[in-house]
Amino acid sequence: MTARIGPVKANPYLWPYDGSVPADRTALVCIDWQTDFCGPGGYVDAMGYDIALTRAGLPATARLLAHCRELGMLVIHTREGHDPDLSDLPANKRWRSAQIGAEIGGPGPCGRILVRGEPGWEIVPEVAPAPGEVIVDKPGKGAFYATNLDLVLRTRGITHLILTGITTDVCVHTTMREANDRGYECLILSDCTGATDPDNHAAALHMVTMQGGVFGCVSTSDDVIAATEV
Amino acid sequence: MPTIDAEPTPYSFDLDSAALLVIDMQRDFLLPGGFGESLGNDVSQLRRTIEPLAALMSAWRAAGLPIIHTREGHEPDLSDCPPAKLARGAIGQQGAFGRILIRGEYGHDIIDELRPAGGEVVVDKPGKGAFYATELAEILDKQGIKSLIVTGVTTEVCVHTTVREANDRGYECLVLADCVGSYFPEFQRVGLQMIAAQGGIFGWVAESPALIAAI
Repeated sequence: MTARIGPVKANPYLWPYDGSVPADRTALVCIDWQTDFCGPGGYVDAMGYDIALTRAGLPATARLLAHCRELGMLVIHTREGHDPDLSDLPANKRWRSAQIGAEIGGPGPCGRILVRGEPGWEIVPEVAPAPGEVIVDKPGKGAFYATNLDLVLRTRGITHLILTGITTDVCVHTTMREANDRGYECLILSDCTGATDPDNHAAALHMVTMQGGVFGCVSTSDDVIAATEV
Repeated sequence: MPTIDAEPTPYSFDLDSAALLVIDMQRDFLLPGGFGESLGNDVSQLRRTIEPLAALMSAWRAAGLPIIHTREGHEPDLSDCPPAKLARGAIGQQGAFGRILIRGEYGHDIIDELRPAGGEVVVDKPGKGAFYATELAEILDKQGIKSLIVTGVTTEVCVHTTVREANDRGYECLVLADCVGSYFPEFQRVGLQMIAAQGGIFGWVAESPALIAAI
């Protein structure tokens, strides 16, 4: 593979910091595009939130996925969820989910809420994993804690991450912060993310750009595609 | 079991399993003329936390409860500083208070007002989060800590990253609005809002006088 990505027009600097990166050292990370969070009939939908906000990034992510697959890039999908016996569910997480009427492990509109193997926990068809793509099941908001993600990335020689997914301020941000502390050079895409609260989406993106890019950079899928040299 | 008024719901904790976490109250971030200010930041936004935090720390100590301090910084040879971080910042360069964010330098240490007492743990962390590449999880585990009272700077960077890590690990986090600070008032507001959103997705938010009254 000879394709390279960068420099990508981004905020606050041209990404990546080291000019450009071979596609085989870069991974596309698709975070928690699950039916319960963004699918019609999922629990976020059933709770009365406007899923247009969490679905907003799907078309751009699907387009970028196709681009990255063509380059042969490593694609990683994550899913938030718990074992059916809930042995990996912290008590306070369960309690808080019950407080807002969506108790993890309880019956939801698409099976037991956030339980592995249930229909609502599956990734939506628009960005479904292709055979051979890595899927990381995570019990928390961050994709690094209690998962093999770091090991997979290091084993594959990945140094740079392009982040998509939902929600911007919760799981995407937590994962980006974890990745940044581990030394990965991160790019988050404003058109491939979304949140239930547009104010939190905007603030989360803004936070990334402060202090010279405290967690990395913000860009768009079009700018990544435009900055790819095959 | 003390219970205090908090967002989004009252916060209860057990005195036997609670610790006060004081994040990165370092000279490089807080002193006028230091690294934080040299980036154009208004350090008074952070310094307003010193007084309430000092009061809380003395009440917390008087109750015989544990305090854990953290410091962000790197080895003098920068061997633990990722290249991407080094390229973006001034880390290791000469600043007003020694090499910026380097362990052992004057600017890297905690401000005089909040100096750790003998026996209190100081965790040195290479990142924004206090769990990654540190012994914090082991320390909390050994002491049987379940509840973390989180204070320090800055709200949206190191405080938020640490609360997110702690929350995923099952700790119940209470963030004290008057004891955490950001250089940017907008991020202070939205940072606290994000913690208590969606039924307290990362934890709870309260003010320190309510906590002091409860212990």
